[in-house]
Amino acid sequence: MNPAETSMNESLHLLTRRHFFQDCGIGLGKIGLSAAFAGGFSHLAKADGAPSGRGRHHGARAKRVIYLFMAGAPSQLELFDDKPKLRELDGKPIPPSVIAGQRYAFIQPDAAVLAPCFPFARYGQSGAELSDRLPYLARIVDEIAIVKSVKTDQFNHAPAQLFLNTGHGLPGRPAMGSWLSYGIGSEADDLPAFVVLKSGGSLSGGAAMWSAGFLPGSHAGVPFRDAGDPILHVSNPKGYDAKAQRDSLDLLRRMNEGALAHLGDPEIQTRIDAYEMAWRMQSAAPELMDFADESPATLALYGAKPGDPKAAFANQCLLARRLVERGTRCVQVYHAGWDHHSQVENGVKSQALQVDQASAALVMDLKQRGLLDDTLVIWGGEFGRTPMVEASAALGRSLGRDHHPQAFTMWMAGGGIRPGITLGATDELGFHVVEDPVHVHDLHATILHLLGIDHTKLTFRYQGRDFRLTDVHGHVVGKLLA
Amino acid sequence: MRVCFHRFFAAILAVPGLHAQEVSFQRDIRPLLSDRCFKCHGFDEETQEADLGLHTFAAATRDLGGYRAVAPGDSAASELIARLVSDDPGEVMPPPKSNKPRFSPEEVALMKRWIDGGAKYEEHWAFVKPVRPPLPEAGESGSDHPVDRFLDAGRAGSGLPINGPADPRTLVRRLSYDLRGLPPTIEETDAFLAAHAQDPEAAWGALVDAFLASPAYGEHWARDWLDLARYADTNGYEKDRPRSIWPYRDWVVRAFNDDLPYDRFTIEQLAGDMLPDPTLDQIVATGFHRNTMLNEEGGIDPLEFRYHAMVDRVATTGSVWMGLTTGCAQCHTHKFDPITHTDYFALFALLNNADEPEIEVPDPILTRQRAEIAAQIEDSEGKEVARLDEARFQAWLAGLRGQSVPWTVLPPLKAVSNLPLLEIEPDLSLYASGDFTKRDVYELSLDLSPLRGKAVTALRLEVLPDPRLPANGPGAAYYEGRKGEFFLSEVTAQVGGRPLAFSGASASFGQISIGSGEAKAENVYDGDGSTGWSTSTREGEAHHLVLKLAEPLAGAETLELSLLFERHFAAGLGRFRLSAATAAGGIAALPPGAPDPFAASEGELRRAFVRLSPDHKAHQEAVAALRGKMPELPTTLVMKERPPHHRRPTHRHHRGEYLSPKEIVAPAVPAIFEPIPEGTPADRLGLAKWLVSERNPLAARVAVNRAWQSLFGRGIVHTSGDYGYQSELPSHPELLDWLAVEFVEQGWSLKRLHRLLVTSAAYRRDSRIDPVQLARDPDNVLLSRGARFRLTGEMLRDGALHAAGLLSSKRGGPGVYPPQPESVVDLAYGSEAWTSSVGEPRYRRSLYTFAKRTAPFAAYLVFDGPTGENCLPRRERSNTPLQALTLLNDPMFHEAAEALARRAWSGAEGVPDESRAVLDALFRRVLSRPPDGREQEDFLAFHEAQWARLATGELKAAEILSAENGPVTPGLAAWAMVARVLLNLNEAITRG
Repeated sequence: MNPAETSMNESLHLLTRRHFFQDCGIGLGKIGLSAAFAGGFSHLAKADGAPSGRGRHHGARAKRVIYLFMAGAPSQLELFDDKPKLRELDGKPIPPSVIAGQRYAFIQPDAAVLAPCFPFARYGQSGAELSDRLPYLARIVDEIAIVKSVKTDQFNHAPAQLFLNTGHGLPGRPAMGSWLSYGIGSEADDLPAFVVLKSGGSLSGGAAMWSAGFLPGSHAGVPFRDAGDPILHVSNPKGYDAKAQRDSLDLLRRMNEGALAHLGDPEIQTRIDAYEMAWRMQSAAPELMDFADESPATLALYGAKPGDPKAAFANQCLLARRLVERGTRCVQVYHAGWDHHSQVENGVKSQALQVDQASAALVMDLKQRGLLDDTLVIWGGEFGRTPMVEASAALGRSLGRDHHPQAFTMWMAGGGIRPGITLGATDELGFHVVEDPVHVHDLHATILHLLGIDHTKLTFRYQGRDFRLTDVHGHVVGKLLA
Repeated sequence: MRVCFHRFFAAILAVPGLHAQEVSFQRDIRPLLSDRCFKCHGFDEETQEADLGLHTFAAATRDLGGYRAVAPGDSAASELIARLVSDDPGEVMPPPKSNKPRFSPEEVALMKRWIDGGAKYEEHWAFVKPVRPPLPEAGESGSDHPVDRFLDAGRAGSGLPINGPADPRTLVRRLSYDLRGLPPTIEETDAFLAAHAQDPEAAWGALVDAFLASPAYGEHWARDWLDLARYADTNGYEKDRPRSIWPYRDWVVRAFNDDLPYDRFTIEQLAGDMLPDPTLDQIVATGFHRNTMLNEEGGIDPLEFRYHAMVDRVATTGSVWMGLTTGCAQCHTHKFDPITHTDYFALFALLNNADEPEIEVPDPILTRQRAEIAAQIEDSEGKEVARLDEARFQAWLAGLRGQSVPWTVLPPLKAVSNLPLLEIEPDLSLYASGDFTKRDVYELSLDLSPLRGKAVTALRLEVLPDPRLPANGPGAAYYEGRKGEFFLSEVTAQVGGRPLAFSGASASFGQISIGSGEAKAENVYDGDGSTGWSTSTREGEAHHLVLKLAEPLAGAETLELSLLFERHFAAGLGRFRLSAATAAGGIAALPPGAPDPFAASEGELRRAFVRLSPDHKAHQEAVAALRGKMPELPTTLVMKERPPHHRRPTHRHHRGEYLSPKEIVAPAVPAIFEPIPEGTPADRLGLAKWLVSERNPLAARVAVNRAWQSLFGRGIVHTSGDYGYQSELPSHPELLDWLAVEFVEQGWSLKRLHRLLVTSAAYRRDSRIDPVQLARDPDNVLLSRGARFRLTGEMLRDGALHAAGLLSSKRGGPGVYPPQPESVVDLAYGSEAWTSSVGEPRYRRSLYTFAKRTAPFAAYLVFDGPTGENCLPRRERSNTPLQALTLLNDPMFHEAAEALARRAWSGAEGVPDESRAVLDALFRRVLSRPPDGREQEDFLAFHEAQWARLATGELKAAEILSAENGPVTPGLAAWAMVARVLLNLNEAITRG
């Protein structure tokens, strides 16, 4: 295109569309613009923030992601990874050869072994092993892939949660959901591309877990709030009904259109569009949050009880399904409460009661609705828990487990994941991975792959460097792919 | 296609004197090599593929065994060209797996021409010292202003139409926001219009001077600086607890208002503590690098996070003063810029030799109040002592003597630890400083010779307060636990390798923080590291622990004592002293506060009596009441260089990993630059002075570019934190260098620099965009028009409050809490609630809003405000629906709209055409201009329609207005609705 021949209107339109697509993680995704940005600039030396590798690089198996993040780190030894050897060694220290050079948060590495607290059995046609704390998951075990060999680099909550959410242990990098919003945009024009839901206790990683980092701020996760507006300020101020709001917006629009004609600044068109999308969000949000159209059977499947804080996780799982139905690209559901430094038996028992039914229900419900094929569900915490016991008189702790980054378990379902498999294994103490290790970077590479993205190509130049979710690491785990 | 356009202009037009035909290494070749070749054939020799580098002439032209990558003068014989055009996937460069685009035919042609012309390499422009270039002739703008002459030259031949000056109303609003961060008042606007009508130039100069002199100037420019300084009022990470470092923020505001020269501004922030006889202000200034985050999560390795803080300090220093992205070199030699892995850690070492204390910031008023109260207490105690009952005192003293035994202080012969430095003080106590870990062991050798000939029966450990310790000690804990506490896990004693057994222990006080454990004195010899003794909650007080020996010890010359401090956070002792007793029988610790009757003076004993005895209860209560009135001094975080005998070594870390320290690296600036001069110590102060010396080619360029970015919306170097090989070339390199030299020569004055820039014609141009400008230069790189950009969230809030007459003029002090929904902080860890301030602090300028890292104030964050987690050289300016929701529905803006309506309405009461007058006032307050005819019609119609609905009760005025603020009428409510629309106008949220 010869710039001189571009008419005012054409260039305005072009810039506006580009502007809006780039700047608004929320919006216009249905227009398949990604191709326009996937190439075209790369033959030039890139400035900071120059788009690079946006759009899909290959056929996608998954269109959307629901990540059930078990914050605090559930004990794999009480849920997924049975270790008879630990029962045998209960109360005795781990051999020094195993623990040499390992750092822990609270315990000394020579602490004694603690036997798994619950009995395990095999379920489904796949014969996957689970403890008796996961009876609902046991029913859908043939739909999921259990990965017993996940590893991380971080042994404290905040850094480890940040690592799983952003690929880096310190705050400041974009969340996975932000990369997805940036890379492949949204399919909704009235809801955010990347939504954050929460139940349970406090989150160590905090807002940095859904930050857009150095990506444009519009790709940040939008936290839905428990109290008041689900999206901050999505309701009209006191005293305004829909007509008063629309009247105000009409006047605003007229004025802004006048300014656009007078000043010719394409940013004004973007502003007009942003206000119109805000208006659409104002009507979409209440409809989204109202579960009245869900059948009693569906509510019962999840154990959801609208408005009941005791059913918070179940309510969030159902809300997550409603969001992906409406085109949200990535829903992060955080459930905090798994940090069992003391009394791991009671702790796991109580958390599993809150989480097991709804997690399994989400997979079943997505399947019934034909959404599981292209919706990726992920379940897991930020690290595992030690085979050794944690006990401390000063802290008043006993029969707990400390943080264990060397090996832990996650499961995944739908969206191109091979169902009914168990991948990886740990040694007889559950200490180290001995088969098919899956590092956090590999997990990210695999998730992006399922969404049609080559993790080495989706990059963003910041401070002179092309950053990506997987840093300079990561391999797609082929054995997990259907 | 925007990228193409400005590249095109930057390349072809903005470099005067270059013919389009001439190939420039700087402009044409290096960007290609850097982007597509250096990753594998660059500075990092470890990762160089095929042992080939293309980063220097020597490397590129090296004989590779009969052929060369680059054969100067002969592109046909250059393997590089053959590889660029090869069809063989195994041969072609860049290789397909690199994800790098292939060279286009035009680019290959450029490469050939460059090689045929001799393959000349040039030093990267940013690493060459700026010299003042000659001023170009005055150009099409007709302005003689140096800035305009450079810009005219840059634009010459572009065919871009240039805009004339903006109208004076736009100008006063633009300047007011740019220099003060606030809109002008109606009075200021009117005064300027009147003056402008007389003499536009004189009026502009006077306006600039007035705004530069306004205290709001410092508050506005401090915001930009605090983005770089990653300032926040909390520690970050999981716990994100509050910290007190606002005295540093206030120092920055003062520095801007006082126009502290930028070289001094730099030196004081990086190394104010190392200046001769530093003032309190100069020490407070070192808070700059204390704005790093502090991880207080239980169980972390504190030294790992100190390392991360150091990485942040290096990155921030590089970005702010050198325009260098040092981050890459943390893990390996920079692939794109000439910074080696060792260079990185040498720079790290310059900054890595400080301790990080918290100091009190005495304010003259508070200091006087404290002294007065202390004198009253002293006086009252003196009088009380004078009238004590002698018999009762003697009885008490006898009792105390009965409980006590004489103690002999044991002089330390040797004191070492795993890491902290232990030093012997004149009173024979030990003082620990430096870095502490989760498991510290102090090994002491104590001299028993003062007790020669006697048998030791018990040991006493006194833990002592010290002003150098957190919260005055006695412990050194500074995170997770209570500041100034300690946790003594185990004490072991030996004589000549023979362990001594303890048979009992007692303490003046015992309490541990975090967890339900008991602080029994016996815990220190139970062999369990997880139990121990602490005096938590009584920080700043002296206490003691007494350990009885199972067998009396006689005939030994030295006692070896080992103290273990083991907790899930670093909790070593900071100051302590050891003594021994030789008395037989029941030896126990004294109650809290009781003096040692065998060591204290008569006066001390009498004072202790009136402090402790129930006889003097009334006096004790009076003193407690006085102490309660004693104002706390504010504190702030600062740097303190370590003494020469306690330098912290810096290692190179393999792959940048904390756990992989390698060889020790000596402090130095990166080798690409001229070194710190001989005779100047290579330390933090040496670095600070070097940064603002002529040896650093970048400090002034980076500083003037930032000022340019703030005033023109886009830097001359667009990548304002990166001037390296990967950065965008400056759009106007000569202008940048001219400004940099000018800035230094006029004494590093930012006010003069700002004045220089805003008095140019370019700054004052109309910001309307015509189609040709939009098509050819959408980013306005060539400045044929005035800049337009969205205001920040802070400016939007301040502007709305200022227009509404609500903005407080109070400056400085601890952070305040403007209203926002509680749910914003609910998402963060912990239970710190956001309790909205009431009254005046609610309306304090946004600079003073409490900045919580994990839950930044929502209305700023949504407009791309900082989180304080990283140095932020440039904010994004996004344009999103969530911003629209904030401006439309956030009660804070609604409150401003109501106040605006009330203000405009009360001013127009009784005026003949009241509606028009109210509307006029609203427009002039928010937009600094009256409405035009069409706007008047539309807004009045809107007002009328809403008024009608309010009058019928369809909408409720009482819901839109708050009765606390004045009368509630449908008319006023409708005006509040009008004001709300005005605050949402694109014009209101843009500086045009």
